[in-house]
Amino acid sequence: MPATLAKAPAAPRDFAACSGCSLCLLVCPMWRRHHDPRLTPEGMAKALQCGATAADLADPVETCSLCGACDPVCPERIDLSGMVMELRHQLAGALPPPGLPPMERPALFAELQARMQHEERPAGPSQVSLRSDTVFLPGPALRADPAFLERTVALLNLPVFADDGDDIALALELGADIPQTRLQSFVDSLRGHSIVAADGLLLRQLRRWLPGSKRMGLGAALCSRAAVRSNLAATDLYVIEPRACHADYERMVIYYNNLQIEIGCSLSLDLQRIAIPASAPGLRHRLGLAAADDDTQARWILRGRTPERIVVEDLADIAAFRRITDIPVVHLAELGGDPTMIRKTARAFN
Amino acid sequence: MLKIPLVEPGTVGPCPVASDALQGIKRQQTNPARWNGAGWPAFVATLRAGGVELAEGSVACGVYATDAGGTAYGLPHGVVIARNAGQVSFLLKTAQTHRVPVTVRGGGLTTEGESVAFGGVLLDMIGMSRVVSIDAAGLTVRTEAGIFWHSLAEELRRENLDYLSAPLNMTSSVGGTLGVGGIDVNSARLGCSADQAISLQVVTPSGEIVECSDSENGELFQRVILGYGQFGIITEATLRIRPYTPLRMYYYYYSSLRVAIEDLQILDRNDASDYSGILTIMDCAVNLLVAFDSDEREAAFHAHWKSRLRGYGETGFALCMAGHYALRPWKFREALYLLQRKREVFPEFRRAEYMRDKKMYDRTVVFSRAVWKHWGSKQMVIPDLATPADKFIEAVERGNAVCRKYFTHYTLYCVGIKLRPEHLPHYEMSCIPPGAEGWAYGCEFEPMIEGGIYSRDHFQSFKNAIYDIGVDMGASYYRFGGMMKGYIRRVFGDALVDRHLAMKRKADPAMILNRDVIF
Repeated sequence: MPATLAKAPAAPRDFAACSGCSLCLLVCPMWRRHHDPRLTPEGMAKALQCGATAADLADPVETCSLCGACDPVCPERIDLSGMVMELRHQLAGALPPPGLPPMERPALFAELQARMQHEERPAGPSQVSLRSDTVFLPGPALRADPAFLERTVALLNLPVFADDGDDIALALELGADIPQTRLQSFVDSLRGHSIVAADGLLLRQLRRWLPGSKRMGLGAALCSRAAVRSNLAATDLYVIEPRACHADYERMVIYYNNLQIEIGCSLSLDLQRIAIPASAPGLRHRLGLAAADDDTQARWILRGRTPERIVVEDLADIAAFRRITDIPVVHLAELGGDPTMIRKTARAFN
Repeated sequence: MLKIPLVEPGTVGPCPVASDALQGIKRQQTNPARWNGAGWPAFVATLRAGGVELAEGSVACGVYATDAGGTAYGLPHGVVIARNAGQVSFLLKTAQTHRVPVTVRGGGLTTEGESVAFGGVLLDMIGMSRVVSIDAAGLTVRTEAGIFWHSLAEELRRENLDYLSAPLNMTSSVGGTLGVGGIDVNSARLGCSADQAISLQVVTPSGEIVECSDSENGELFQRVILGYGQFGIITEATLRIRPYTPLRMYYYYYSSLRVAIEDLQILDRNDASDYSGILTIMDCAVNLLVAFDSDEREAAFHAHWKSRLRGYGETGFALCMAGHYALRPWKFREALYLLQRKREVFPEFRRAEYMRDKKMYDRTVVFSRAVWKHWGSKQMVIPDLATPADKFIEAVERGNAVCRKYFTHYTLYCVGIKLRPEHLPHYEMSCIPPGAEGWAYGCEFEPMIEGGIYSRDHFQSFKNAIYDIGVDMGASYYRFGGMMKGYIRRVFGDALVDRHLAMKRKADPAMILNRDVIF
């Protein structure tokens, strides 16, 4: 596995350490779209320093896409995404103001809680016999497309872990409570395994829950396969999935730097070497309460660039680009179509 | 009974830091009095009726409670995010009518409270952050003035272009920089950032939207450039730009400030490099950086100038230092600090993702991230001195002695600024010292706070001690506004200050714009 052992991150600091340098604004998709400092990590941190509550910050907290771009640029090492996730958690658990009816919550919250409380989760697949085996957590988007999942699994040559923590990933997104028993069983089942996860937010948390474990995003894992990598071209625009990249930034920035040197393709990185999200859906969008109507990010990635093909790590980015360009857009998994190459490299990953 | 003279708003009162003020008491400086809020509700009602969104309340205003300096604190009554020149114009017209102070903020990177509002409205210009147009053939860009220099660089780079010079800080705003100067490590060759402005769209304190340049409304242009925000709000700017090039960087190390500055000035006088500047760890390790945009310029430097520099390479300097401290074992703590600093800071300037074929890409990102990571903190105190070339060594050495007296660890940052004779009117009452010809030189004296706790009086005494050197030497300062404005008359003299005050009164009858920054 090309991933080196990722060390546990240095203890992050909280909002009180924000010095107002504004470096996080430069990489924030909310800033690019709204140009309103209140809708930025710095705006939230400064407001919290002034005594703001989660309810005061509901708008920016729900607008944030949790892309994690702000985390690696913060010179004070503030866990800014963690701050937003904590605020979401507080919002989700907030009691309604006295005299007002209970706040409306999407039914999704209740369903999720019920699932996590009561659902029996399958154990890992039978072929995962050793704790040292690498396992794949595909997440709901890939599971929804069985043919695509099959192709991805063939390329990775990894067993799909039956419990891929999709409920936990959703709870992280929503700020919902995760029952301790559910979390413990999930983390215990992964202990000792190397992990490839499609969900960048889950990957971020796994870094904290399983310090010292080997983890990798789906994009980087696929791109490490010769069958895929050999089909990348210098004329490609390679679009990085930002959450997984920023969750393990110090390692991934070197990884992508080497990829660029090797292939010569352009990457969806800004001048600070931060992955520009191709879309930046807030909470309402992710809950399906708002339509994806904003192309700001995808247009910004393409500005001044004329690639012959766009290669994306994240399935969701295909739609974001197809809305605004005729340039062919493909997922990494679609590059590794040569079965000979797949067989040839089948064991290379482990 | 203590008699406190009444001071009319918008005028400079008795100097609170003058040597004869508060006899027997350490000179101190305080925040200005908070505006009393008279007429605020009517002002707000007029603004809102005109469609201007104004946020009030502690959360909205608290975000702007201080600036990068972190020693001046104040709260506005309300905040407006700038959206377009028309909105800014309406705001200023209404503020004139209701006599409500308007404090303008860009990146908020002032250190003396210049962008902190002590009541009234805070106008946050970073809401106007769009690039209007890029003329790649004519090498100019038109941009809204609230944009961060880094955001401008991001846009320009998509066309393989770059700005000419900007502060080594990604979150300085274009408008704020043009208002005070803007120094880069290429300023010895290209001048300050403000010199790159071709024309501006300005909203005057009375709310007129005016396009100005050296040839059109020249007097306004001269006053707004380097004008510390007294004569108008820059809403758009047309700037010179250039094709992007990565650069090749060299570092030379000295143990003598004097020798390093002499070498810096040799390079500048002879146009021997594209970039030059000095960054130190106290006065123990003095780093002269030299960089080039092209192979030709680099080759010329190697052929003609490299051998004349008296600095060491990294290995040679390490050996030199080892010998120095071996003979002075009682200074082992200082040696340890130098080693620790080297280990922390040097890798930042060599990160693999910014280096290719031994060239540095995106130098501002490299420098700015390093600056914030290793020099930044919630409090930043950076007094400076700007002098003509011939007085610079003395100014730095005297300032260095002050730093040693007040702080255990500190950094000096020295850079030259090429002056443009045709811009002399721009330089009046600015950071460019009177009497400088050819080049001016600036030095920032930055103590390393490093989690230490110092009183505001300690900081202020330190700043006063540095600024007193400037008064004594006839120098100027980059940061003479806000908490340091007591030095303005001492440095520039009554005649010049009174002339500018008269112009200010005429342009800003209610004295609402950036009150207490200069006047």
